[in-house]
Amino acid sequence: MQLRVGRVRKPWLSLLVSSAVLALGAREARAQGGTVSAARVIALLATKTSQLSVTVTSGAVQSIPSLTDNAVNNFPSPVVITTTWDVNPGQTNTVNLMAYFTTPAQALTGGITQIPSSRVLGQMTTGLPVAFTAITQNAVGGVGTVGGSLRLFSQNISGANKKASRTDNLNLQINLVGFPTLAPGTYNGTLNLRAVTQ
Amino acid sequence: MQRPLNRALAVAAALALAAASTAEAQAGLTSNTATVTLNATKLSTLTVSPTTATTSIASITDNSLANQFPDVGLTTAWNLTAGTSVNLVGWFATPASALANGAALIPSTKVEGGINGGGWTAFTGAPVGTVGVAGGSLQLFNQSVAGGLFGTRTDQLNLRLNLVGFPTTTAGTYTGTLNVQAIVQ
Repeated sequence: MQLRVGRVRKPWLSLLVSSAVLALGAREARAQGGTVSAARVIALLATKTSQLSVTVTSGAVQSIPSLTDNAVNNFPSPVVITTTWDVNPGQTNTVNLMAYFTTPAQALTGGITQIPSSRVLGQMTTGLPVAFTAITQNAVGGVGTVGGSLRLFSQNISGANKKASRTDNLNLQINLVGFPTLAPGTYNGTLNLRAVTQ
Repeated sequence: MQRPLNRALAVAAALALAAASTAEAQAGLTSNTATVTLNATKLSTLTVSPTTATTSIASITDNSLANQFPDVGLTTAWNLTAGTSVNLVGWFATPASALANGAALIPSTKVEGGINGGGWTAFTGAPVGTVGVAGGSLQLFNQSVAGGLFGTRTDQLNLRLNLVGFPTTTAGTYTGTLNVQAIVQ
């Protein structure tokens, strides 16, 4: 026995069925369009941390082999400093580089006599102290010490340089003109370099 | 509709506050602290400074003590880390010819020195430490530094030629070099 299924050859029937399905769908859509769910707000927070760093690329150790009393004693080579920042220009006006001694009265300590920061001078021809200037200024933006600081530069920040760096040379000297005769020995100190935005 | 709007406003306000606090933080953003080590060495010093480099007798008198040079001021300064005394020594490199006029010589035995008018002694002594020449030296002073390793003193160095009993000198100019050097002992 052979079963044969024949193809329905009635196109009008197919059209009728399709129309019915579409009509049902439209009615359903109308019913959904009248219902609105409660709004749910999702707060998006993504923080780009500002960055500010100071690196001494050379000259981190400065030495004068033989100090001369009552004279200006230059450290032989500059301190090369690279300052890098990535900040929001809408929230930052300037990047400032500070040099400071923790204890200004004893910038360099040795034997009986100490060398104060007033006798240590800095010069940055590409910055603010274009001539040798004693490290006797006050702190800036909380960075530095009273009477033992020197602002080396103040870099204006805009959209063009919100992410940038600069390299500067800091020359240092010890001015002993008029200073009491130093006792022989080695005098050691630490000059801090730190940047701060304002 | 009102509740979602309120909630949105609240979230917006929170965001604004957060942004404001971030702005405050950035205004005082600080970097790491880089350091520069500073070393400066003050060496011990010991110096002698004469007030003049030349002293002269215009006319030598033979067989006489009256051949005195003008005094020479000497400032001796020291800044030490150790030692018990500072010694000042005058000496001729070649005692046999302290002063010479060609082949005519005046030895150091005929040159006398003293300090601050304290008397005359010929330059015939031994070195002090490593300073001086055997038979051609004179220790001018011995200054204790027990009270302090930093000090200075100024003296008048008296010099003369004692030509008593010395052969008649040849006419001409006698020149010589007296070395003055300090040493710590």
